[in-house]
Amino acid sequence: MGSETLLNENAIKSPAVKAWKEKGGKAIGTICCHVPEELIDAAGMLPVRLRGTGCTDDSEAEAWMSPFSCSFARAQFEYLLNGTYDFLNGIATSDGCLLAGRIHDNWKYAGKEKIEKEGFMLSMTSTPRIVESRHTMGYYKEELEALKADLERVSGEKITDEKLKASARKYNETRALIREMYELRKAPQPAISGTEALELTLAAMSMEKGEFNKKIRAFIGEAKNRKPPAAPRVRLMIIGSAIDDPAFLKIIEDKGGLVVTDVQCFGSRYLWEPVAIDDSDVMGSLAKSYLERPVCPRILDIHDELYKLYMDMVKDYAVDGVIYVRMKYCEIWGGESLLFESKFKEAGIPLLTLEREEIMTNEGQLAVRVEAFIEMIEKEDR
Amino acid sequence: MANLMQELARLSDDIYEHIEKKNPQILFMFDVQRLYWNNTLNAHAEGKKLVYVGAGAPCELLWAFPNIWPFLLDMFPTRLGSDPERASKYIDIAEKYVAPTMCAIDKVDLGAVFSGDLPDTPDAFIWSSVPCDNSRSAYPAIEGYFQDRGARGLKVDIPFRKDERSFRYIAEQYKDLIPQLEEIAGQKLDRDYFKEVMAISNETAGYMAKIADLRKLKPCPLPGRLLVLNEMIPAMAGHPAMRDFVKTQYELGKMLVDMGMTATKAQPEVFRVSWLQNMLWSNVGTLDWLEKQYGATVVMDAFGYQKTPLFTNPDDIDTVLFNLAQKTLALPMIHGASGPIEDYANLVENVMEDYAVDVSMFVGHVGCKHTWAAAKVIKDMVMEKFGLPTLTIDVDAVDGRYKTTEEIRGIIGEYMDNIVEQKEKGNYPPKKA
Repeated sequence: MGSETLLNENAIKSPAVKAWKEKGGKAIGTICCHVPEELIDAAGMLPVRLRGTGCTDDSEAEAWMSPFSCSFARAQFEYLLNGTYDFLNGIATSDGCLLAGRIHDNWKYAGKEKIEKEGFMLSMTSTPRIVESRHTMGYYKEELEALKADLERVSGEKITDEKLKASARKYNETRALIREMYELRKAPQPAISGTEALELTLAAMSMEKGEFNKKIRAFIGEAKNRKPPAAPRVRLMIIGSAIDDPAFLKIIEDKGGLVVTDVQCFGSRYLWEPVAIDDSDVMGSLAKSYLERPVCPRILDIHDELYKLYMDMVKDYAVDGVIYVRMKYCEIWGGESLLFESKFKEAGIPLLTLEREEIMTNEGQLAVRVEAFIEMIEKEDR
Repeated sequence: MANLMQELARLSDDIYEHIEKKNPQILFMFDVQRLYWNNTLNAHAEGKKLVYVGAGAPCELLWAFPNIWPFLLDMFPTRLGSDPERASKYIDIAEKYVAPTMCAIDKVDLGAVFSGDLPDTPDAFIWSSVPCDNSRSAYPAIEGYFQDRGARGLKVDIPFRKDERSFRYIAEQYKDLIPQLEEIAGQKLDRDYFKEVMAISNETAGYMAKIADLRKLKPCPLPGRLLVLNEMIPAMAGHPAMRDFVKTQYELGKMLVDMGMTATKAQPEVFRVSWLQNMLWSNVGTLDWLEKQYGATVVMDAFGYQKTPLFTNPDDIDTVLFNLAQKTLALPMIHGASGPIEDYANLVENVMEDYAVDVSMFVGHVGCKHTWAAAKVIKDMVMEKFGLPTLTIDVDAVDGRYKTTEEIRGIIGEYMDNIVEQKEKGNYPPKKA
């Protein structure tokens, strides 16, 4: 399978989603990366991560969620309202942030007819925010048991431990392959751009993972044989709020900065750390694996691990500068700079802070700021 | 270097002395504030452990240690809201570090801490994962700041829902908190003393319920302004001074009712208003203005609506901790806004119904993005069930620079003028569909 085919799969209603639905398969939307997709997969359904990629008008959603909610949440809700996600049979949300919760809440009202007449599933998982407490895992496990029951109801399939273990194995393979793809970006002249890498992880978010694994394996094989482009002017890492729009990264890369890695939940934070399954407690081990990952600052006692991840990424990917992108009104990431800015400064890592809205209107300004940042890094390097 | 705690303690002394001369009958409102600020200032000098707490900390459990003086960090922004110069100083400091869209309550918390204007480092900072994403961003940084200066940091995870399982989950964590508090206090938890604290807390809650009932009467005997002090009640529930404050408030209200009078400026009461979101600490005078200008009393708001659960069995520690967990999830801001939308909608519905509200206003604090994201559902419910339209206005509850008094009153006034006009024509309140 050629790389182009896989790159075409990053649309919200991708060819893979269409094919899945045509076969009569059910699809479950997920909001926040603390909804373990393995559970949906084990129920024989297709997990599809909700996003707002390409949204150009969120006015209906704004009427529901106000202009003070983050535009990423608004765009997702707009797509629910305008039928972009009509192929879904349900949504599984985790309270990643309060606005994620409000998408779920508002859909209870806006999607009432669908829920009542079509049996559309609406499930909310309360994910703990503090990992160090000895009570946390038990609570999250019970929440996942509740999600499992919801999924079994919609799918009509029993989610056995064996099915869940098989899903975890398949997903771990996806994780390993995504890491392998990222590994190629460590090269001095990486053959994969940041824009392309994001397109690949977006494709993974709405594709059955067995199929994705085959395709990305082929892609990696192809990419290894690509003629490397010229060395980038600077190597950049993106951290911060969700970025689900390759066009945003393209603006950065068009200015000569190559995004070689990231710490954001539509990139490396999607599927990376393997799930370690303990046969004696399959659900418990799934809960543990999901909760202990350094994903985003919504986990309140994981800031040190997150910072260590930034620094490891900087070292491993030979990063010249970090771009911290915070979505306007994303307070989870909005305060994170307090915890890393001075440390980056001490470590001599150049940092650029950008504010983003899901509907891009400031492309020129973004390009100018990125260009200045790249020039600043280049001057420092001389 | 400035000492914010000292400044606020002095300020509360000055206000107290001023009121004592000018308006002694309302001195009780300032008594409790003076005590709170001064005791916080002097905690270490009096040999107590000073413990800062974030929203959602189990205050009665802290009051159960005579050697601990807990101070609710959010008292800074709610107090400084009426002091634009100081508030903006700390907001500006915070904005050097965090996104300017962060809630000004948390920005003042952060700014006050990071300014260095609190030279008396607390012995511990206890916080929880509620009420919102703003506090979840601010509290870990504040914890880190204090930990770097030798304080202990303790935290509790508060889940999304308000059900039995959530209460149990929180109660288990509170149980783990006890030995840690004992270490901080340097004393064991005295269960008999704790029972006394619980008894006071229950008494306080009882008076709160009675006050809430008084506010249901027509005319409402107590001014909207008094709702503003609600922020302070849970922080001191369990302390005798707070019990005495609400007792006096109730007795005053009851006396007014018996005399057929009201302490509001609404003479007569023409409209009964509810604010469906936060409290406007930066512009409390607007409540008086509404009463005076339009005879419109804010009878209850969705921020302070407190139906606090009681301690049902002080002899049984598991029940006590379970009740504490219930109380946490019933705290202002947490009770309605931090979980499922139904909690918020039910709270507003109860306010509208119980208090016979006929003017609905979503005076929305811009920092509360999650309540804004629920506004349509709430306003639709108010229209559907009560036939009332809702004025929507964005304000900053703490940062007075966001909108001037004139702007706020201009918008509210225009709406009220329309209502008055419609009422004169017999068209208001609108007939329910």
